[in-house]
Amino acid sequence: MARVHLSAGLRDLTGGVANIEIEASTVGRLIKSLDQMFPGIGSRLSEGSSVAINGEILTDAEYEKIPASAEIHFLDILQGG
Amino acid sequence: MKYASPSSVEEATGVLAGALSAQVFAGATDVVPQIRAGRKQPEILVDLKGIKELLNVSNEATHWRVGAATPTARLTENSDFSSEFPGLSEAAGLIGSDQIQNRSSLGGNLCNGSPAADSVPAMVVNGVRAVVAGGSGSRTVPVSEIVTGPGKTSLADDEFIVEFEIDHMPAHTGDAYLRLIPRTEMDIAVVGVGVRVTLDDVGMVSAADIVLGAVAPTVVRVPEAEAALVGNQINDEILATVSAAASEACNPIDDKRGTIAYRKQVAGVLAKRAVLLAAERAAERNGDAK
Amino acid sequence: MAVIEENPGYKWVGTRPIRPDGLEKITGKAQFGADSILPGMLYGSVVRSPHAHARILSIDMSVAKSMPGVKAVITSADFPDLALNGGSAGDIDMSNNVMARAKVLYEGHVVAAVAANTREQAKAAADAVIVNYEVLPHVLTVDEAMADNAPLLHDGMYTKGIDPKPEKPSNVASRVVHERGDLDKGFAEADLVIEREYTTKPVHQGYIEPHAAVADANSDGRAHIWCSSQGHFQMRAHTATVLGVSPGTIKVTAAEIGGGFGGKTVVYLEPLAVRLSQRAGRPVKLVMDRDEVFRASGPTSGTRIKVKMGVTNEGQLTAADVWMGYEAGAFSGSPVGAAGMTVIACYDIPNFFVEGFDVVVNKPRVAAYRAPGAPMAAFAVETVMDELARGINIDPIDLRLQNAVVEGTQASYGPKFPRIGFVETLEAIKNHPQYTAELGPNQGRGVAAGFWFNAGMNSSATVHINENGTATVVVGSPDIGGSRQSMALMAAEELGISYENIKPVVADTETVGFNDVTGGSRVTLATGAAVVDACRVITADLRARAAKTWDVEIDDVEWVDGQAQHVDGSQPPLSLADLAGKSGRTGGPISATASLNARGVGAAFSTQLCDVEVDPETGITRVIRYVSAQDAGRAISPAYVEGQMQGGVAQGIGWALNEEYIHNSSGVMENASFLDYRIPVASDLPMIDTVIVEVPNPAHPYGVRGVGEVGIVPPMAAVANAISDAAGVRMKDLPMSPVKLLEALNEKGK
Repeated sequence: MARVHLSAGLRDLTGGVANIEIEASTVGRLIKSLDQMFPGIGSRLSEGSSVAINGEILTDAEYEKIPASAEIHFLDILQGG
Repeated sequence: MKYASPSSVEEATGVLAGALSAQVFAGATDVVPQIRAGRKQPEILVDLKGIKELLNVSNEATHWRVGAATPTARLTENSDFSSEFPGLSEAAGLIGSDQIQNRSSLGGNLCNGSPAADSVPAMVVNGVRAVVAGGSGSRTVPVSEIVTGPGKTSLADDEFIVEFEIDHMPAHTGDAYLRLIPRTEMDIAVVGVGVRVTLDDVGMVSAADIVLGAVAPTVVRVPEAEAALVGNQINDEILATVSAAASEACNPIDDKRGTIAYRKQVAGVLAKRAVLLAAERAAERNGDAK
Repeated sequence: MAVIEENPGYKWVGTRPIRPDGLEKITGKAQFGADSILPGMLYGSVVRSPHAHARILSIDMSVAKSMPGVKAVITSADFPDLALNGGSAGDIDMSNNVMARAKVLYEGHVVAAVAANTREQAKAAADAVIVNYEVLPHVLTVDEAMADNAPLLHDGMYTKGIDPKPEKPSNVASRVVHERGDLDKGFAEADLVIEREYTTKPVHQGYIEPHAAVADANSDGRAHIWCSSQGHFQMRAHTATVLGVSPGTIKVTAAEIGGGFGGKTVVYLEPLAVRLSQRAGRPVKLVMDRDEVFRASGPTSGTRIKVKMGVTNEGQLTAADVWMGYEAGAFSGSPVGAAGMTVIACYDIPNFFVEGFDVVVNKPRVAAYRAPGAPMAAFAVETVMDELARGINIDPIDLRLQNAVVEGTQASYGPKFPRIGFVETLEAIKNHPQYTAELGPNQGRGVAAGFWFNAGMNSSATVHINENGTATVVVGSPDIGGSRQSMALMAAEELGISYENIKPVVADTETVGFNDVTGGSRVTLATGAAVVDACRVITADLRARAAKTWDVEIDDVEWVDGQAQHVDGSQPPLSLADLAGKSGRTGGPISATASLNARGVGAAFSTQLCDVEVDPETGITRVIRYVSAQDAGRAISPAYVEGQMQGGVAQGIGWALNEEYIHNSSGVMENASFLDYRIPVASDLPMIDTVIVEVPNPAHPYGVRGVGEVGIVPPMAAVANAISDAAGVRMKDLPMSPVKLLEALNEKGK
């Protein structure tokens, strides 16, 4: 079971839901499940986000396996200089 | 673009007389950037560094003779000159940067006609004279009569400055030049103040020259400040009058380097500080310089 | 000075050898972007808009085309319209920035380009291009762009991140939000609440080397580009996108770079040079002069930021409310997202609301600048922190220590922090002699802190062992901050041979695997990890070769100090030179490649202390002492780490005191040269002392944390807090130039 934290910027699509427990084997499947619950959230998360799994920030994480009881946060993609 | 390198004053005058649009230069530290930026497009560039009088520096009986094309570094590194005229020397030493000063000259700094030129206020307060050569012969004029407006001089098309005459510093007289720039170096003066004062045996001011730069189209003398000093001891009240007069004498513009209000206020501050510095030097100079 | 945590006795990592690029750079032999010369090369010149906002009615190239020496002329008609080809919004914007299509959106925006035999001929031809414009009203600031009935830059811009979606278009591209807890409750619990508003101006990265590119293209579309950049694979990809071709048709060779700081992760000249070269059938060189660099390459955002924070008398932060408007320039994409994530990231605040807006204005499109978005946000928050500390009479470092994030704290942007070194940097400053040095009249002291994520991303590296046992390390990361040295040091440590025997090389896009940009403070971590992986494949291979040589099992062989050793000492050791010299007998040449998407990124924190002297009669500020403490994880190359720390501070001081874009009312930049765009000169800065704190990143083989960016985050606030301490005025608008400081002092004196 992964615990997914949804940032304030996504609340317009989640109807205010901030946290949700979801079963998913990979990040990509997690996003698909979220998109079924909150239509439209899928493209926002795939295009515009990095993901943090238990505090580690990853880019291109579509096939990353989600460990048991993971804490998941989606973050805006950042640019460095 | 043509190029000439005359080896005598006569040859140079001849080249200038025969040209449609000529630009004389010594170090070219202003001329080259201006040509690159398209602001000047002379038909012929005339290099004055081949004329020996323009590179001569001599300490003579009544005055220094400084060739107009002499690199300012040669002056600032000349300890006799810089100890006699610390203000003028410091002013010359503020032009550009150390590297620039191996090329820049008093002649160029003056004739470029920038309102912010660093050497000009200090030259004016020291009564420096310019020896001008041209088709109609040679004439000697105070430096204050050379620049007539931003980028403009009173020189005819066939004239150029050969050398400067700087009378030796009298006893009990000192000069100073202070300027304000946002950085510490390599910047253009937002305000510049040149001062020269003479003190008598009891420390009263017997002569004063105060000239501002960068706050008007040309340098500005401040007679009210000079009058406030002459015949008086220097104290806070007198200095306040000097500051106020300097602020009042400014006719600056608002531009990206400073507002009118800022320039006026800082001109007052620098005038006060330059007077104190010049007076300190005057008190230290007991005899005439030679 | 360094505060080191358990250095496990590295032989090479952490040392200070001679840098590999030093000799060439000092003797002038180094080849920068503009130094390539090819036979038959033409010179290009760019036609740029004189207007901040205008419709392009017509472009007449006929005169230009017929001028002496002109071999090619191009306009937007020579590039595919990505809007018609299903290009992404980002690609469309990038293409329109390289060359304007229907409208020009800033003074300096490219409208056309020409190539001719000489520079003078190209410039004359560019001047002869006739463009008819319909001038439109423009907006230059966040306030102007967000005002009701403001003229719009893009008709189809509907603010993202607002619910419900706006009915009308505007100049606000997007909104970001972060929140936690209950703001009202938080402020109610506070004993002291400070509320302030700040503005900052656009500032340029200020790299000394202007953009330059030489392109040699064939009529079949293949092209070779020489340019300096922060990522030649990125240059290849972006150029291919703008030209509408496959990236595989373009080869990019990385030149030495004279500074980037984020600003050279963008294409400007490369697509123009390639297209001109294709049309002319000859190589084309395009170089920006300094004026063009200012007017047409991205500075970073000007901003308006409002901060309200509450604290208890005991020093507990209870609430923070932040509003940020960031200028994106002509196209969306300001770093307001990162600003929103970093603004209060240093502190554990239970109740907060952070809101940020990405706003387009008629100025050059912003580009990344060292920790993009974070320095402006830190200027605001760190000066409020200073006021809070003074207000409740707590030492400003103690206030930060009390609320600092530590391992396990939930970050303001979401996840929990792994092991970090923020507290260690605060303590390093508190214990530094400058903290208690005596201050004279008109002098003051200020402290500030900052945070940056750093990045991982994709890197590839190859390591070759030469036949005499020396090595070549081949990377695809342009070296902007010393990465060649740190790669060689890590390879020396892994292989067990001398750093002097390793040559690090930055290869072109055909000779090394894919690499993301050199930026985001990621190269030492990510490219370093690839180099380490490649070296570990090699050392495993060397053990196997030694086993073959001795006819034993591989498990009986260890690689120690550059030699294969039998575990029971029954064989004389085989050095790398031994094995390399006979590599044909044990399987062939010795070489390995590693490619990865780096994991285990460690974030960076910086705490800085600034002493200033303010001349109260002129408003001139001089920085008299400065120290920066930063957690580098592990400093692979301490000399370079110190350089990065000092560089960030130098740029921050310029940003604080004098740097700004000055536009007139027509939107034309007035100070497009280093005379009036005032970056600090050497005499403006004291010796910047550095304290390298090492709290190793547990997820990296050498404990590395990126170091290049976080150093620019605290300085503006540190300087502002020092000015307040020295002169008793709180400056809220950058830069804190002498004119503005004197005005503030005059006001105070009334």
